[in-house]
Formats: sequence, C-alpha cells, structure tokens
Amino acid sequence: MNMKLMADRNVIITGCSRGIGRAMLGVFAENGANVWACARNATEQFVSYCEDIARRHEVRITPVCFDLRDPAGITSAVRSIMASNLPVHALVNNAGVTLNALFQMTSMEKLREVFEINFFSQFLLTQYVVRLMVRQKGGSIVNISSSAAIDGNTGRSAYGASKAALIALTKSMAAELAEHGIRVNAVAPGITATDMVGQSMSQKVIDETVAQTKLRRIGKPDDIAHSALFLASDMSSYITGQVIRTDGGLGR
Amino acid sequence: MLLQGKTAVITGCLRGIGRAALDLFAHHGASVWACCQAPDDGFAAHVAELAEATGVTIIPVYFDLTSHEQMRAGIKQIVDAKRNVDILLNIAGAAHNALFHMTSMDKLKEVFEIDFFSQIFLTQMLTKLMMRAKSGSVITVASIAGLDGNPGQIAYSSAKAALIGATKTLAAELGAYGIRVNAIAPGVIQTDMTAALPKEKFQELLRGSKLPRAGLPEEVAQAMLFLASDLSSYVTGQVLRVDGGIGG
Repeated sequence: MNMKLMADRNVIITGCSRGIGRAMLGVFAENGANVWACARNATEQFVSYCEDIARRHEVRITPVCFDLRDPAGITSAVRSIMASNLPVHALVNNAGVTLNALFQMTSMEKLREVFEINFFSQFLLTQYVVRLMVRQKGGSIVNISSSAAIDGNTGRSAYGASKAALIALTKSMAAELAEHGIRVNAVAPGITATDMVGQSMSQKVIDETVAQTKLRRIGKPDDIAHSALFLASDMSSYITGQVIRTDGGLGR
Repeated sequence: MLLQGKTAVITGCLRGIGRAALDLFAHHGASVWACCQAPDDGFAAHVAELAEATGVTIIPVYFDLTSHEQMRAGIKQIVDAKRNVDILLNIAGAAHNALFHMTSMDKLKEVFEIDFFSQIFLTQMLTKLMMRAKSGSVITVASIAGLDGNPGQIAYSSAKAALIGATKTLAAELGAYGIRVNAIAPGVIQTDMTAALPKEKFQELLRGSKLPRAGLPEEVAQAMLFLASDLSSYVTGQVLRVDGGIGG
C-alpha cells in the first residue's frame, strides 16, 4: 500500500510564496506530488525554496510566476503549464488578498480590487485548467475560502463577500463538472498563523478570536494544507460541492 | 500510515462501511477494538487474518446496542485494558423506513435507542479516557437524511439529526481537552442496506446526485480516516457530507 497520498500526481497551487501556500507546497511534495508552484515574483528565495523541497522529497517543483491581476499573465502561465504535456490532477486556488475595512469605509475601487484577485482571477485560471481536466476526464479542484465567508465578520465585507462568491462558485462548478469526473470543493480556514493575519488583525482581535475556537488555539498553515490535501487526493473521491471548515470550531 | 501507533474503537465492524473502516484503519497502522453485535466465526477469522497481514492488534468486542448490560461489559473490556483510546468511530446503527403516521412511538424509541442513546452512552464512557489523555478524535456517523430529511425515514432522520446536534455540542465541550468531534454524513452507499432496495427506488435515491453513482463503503472509510487522523487536527464540530454532492 503506497501511503503517499499524491504519488505521481501533478498539482497546480497558487500563492506558494508565503503562509498557507508555502505550507501546501511542503505538504503536497511530502506526499509525492509534483507541483507547479505559482507565486507573483520569482524571488531568489522562492526559487531556492522550491529547489530545496524538490530535492528533499524527490519530486518536481516548477515555479510559475504571474500576477493574478493580469489576465494575460494567467493565460501565459497556463500555456507554459500545458506545454509540458503532463496531466493536471489537481488545482488548489489558494492565492488571495485580505482587506480589513468597515463597510462604509470600503471604496468601490478597493472592493473591485479584492474581487479581481480573490474571485475573477481564480475563475479565469480555473476555466483554463478545467478545459484540460475535461479532456482528461477527471481532476480535483480545491478553492480556499474563509470562515469569514460563512459567518461574516466585522471589517470583512469585501473580503468575506469575495470568499462567499468562491463558495457559490465551488458548488455550481461541482454540479456542472461532476459528469466529467471533476470534483470541486472548498476549505474554509479560520484564524491561521500567517503574515496575512498578523498584518491585518490586531493582537487583541487575534486573541479574542482564538478564545472563541473550540480547540483554543490558532490554526497552523499545515492544518489548512492537510484539508486541501485530503480534498485534492483520492481519499475524498465521493466528496464534491462541500466546504470543509478548518477553523478549530469557530462559529457555528 | 496515517494512524501509526493509535488505538481505535470502531463499532459496526461486521459489514459494509464498518468493515471497510476496520480494514483501512488497520492498514494505516491503528490497533482496533473491533466491535460488532454478536460473536461470528467468519468475523473472527477475518480479524485474525487482517491482524496477521497488517501487524496490528485487533480485538473483537461483542455487544448489542439495545442491551446496556452488554454494552457495559464491552466497554469494561476496553477500559480494563488500560490503554489510551485515540479514536472512537461510532458506525453501528440501523436504518428504519416508515412514514410519519405509520411510525409507532415504540418503534421511534427503538430507533433512537440504537441510533442515538447507545452512541451517547458509549461516547460518554470512552471520552472519559480521552479527557485523561487530553487528546482524541470522535467520529459519529450521521446521514444526509439527518440534514436534508427523507420521506419515509422520520425516525431514522430524526435520530441522525439528534446525533449531529450532539456532535456539535460535544465538540464545544470537549475541545478544551484536545478532543475533536465530527460527523460523517454518508449519502447513497453500496451496502447490504441499499442492496435490499428495489432497483427503481435505488435509482430514485441517486437522482440529484452530482457524481452519477452510489458511493462505496471504502470511500466513506477514507473520509473517516481523514477525520480520525491528524490530517484534520484543526477540524472540529463539522459534518462532512460524503454523498457525491446529492444536496446541501
């Protein structure tokens, strides 16, 4: 029994340079996956991290760099992935931005920017990848949403709405694509120890939120990566259209 | 090996989903207290073979969920071994099909006895061990009927809904002890239970399912493995639908 859950699988993961995406890269590689590791910038640090992971787990990690705000960049990134002629078994839409602003203080411009990155760009990238998966007659797509999309949180109108849109997309895509053997699910992280949380929330809010979790701790990037791994792998072969809250029991 | 060195209590191991979970957990390195309703030679032989093949310890435990006396004895056997129990997987239960007006109070209580009260009793006893160890994972098996309702399953769906309520409350109460509590809600799964259905009824059940097929017991077992293992270490109080996308 091969215990590597993603042995010989090829996966696209976005937002790999930091936080949850960086953890995913490690967890997926550890489980045997070859990864197209997407990030905005091909910094020396990022490229050497990819090389290090590849060497350690004897998998292929290919850095793919583009800005999610640039549709042409997405198109050419997908082209470069397709040029490899390899099947794409899973896509993890992890990249995203946060915004902490009260409803009345959120400009239309900011709102559009959040949706551009957290929703429209994921939509476009996924359309391209699904074309490939339909031809392959199978695949798994994992969207990283947020508990804020389900519960609503103060100061999260733009962010929460963009992540809620991603959940609705997940469910519609699950319905449309099941006949092609493509599963689509989402992970809804709660409060997770990343730079993004550190920068957008005060320590007081972080502490209060952690106190509301049933497990009384902040999430680790690996926790979220493990839920995504489950949904990307064949372990979840009869699960589609679902959202797995990975939040230590925050909210309902 | 996702369960190396862990000990699991699994009920309902004789057939279907329970059997699949027993096999999968053992292959992932878990020692198992394999509970089923009554002694069965075929089962004992399977357990011996599985233990031999995987190198883990598997001990059959026999009790009927309708008998508190038998349950107490079964639980005592587990507790007396003085080993940690890391995982409790409550699979045993019984489906019951009858319309609302055709369901007698006696029958309703009988269904709740098997599908709810007995699970709570067992969970109470075994989470005491987990609280001492300050860690554990409890998995209840609900049903999509407990979430969506299902015509002709008033007693069964109500008992499963109660189980979901208990799952969430337990998650809140036990979280501080490092114990996670989650539920699996299977959809239409190929088991003896569904095999007994007429073909048309079976097809009707699948209507609206996104994946155009019934699930396999092994697929439900894989989701259980996720919730039992450290892969889900930050997941608690959740209900995971394993239903091919049939609703919700």
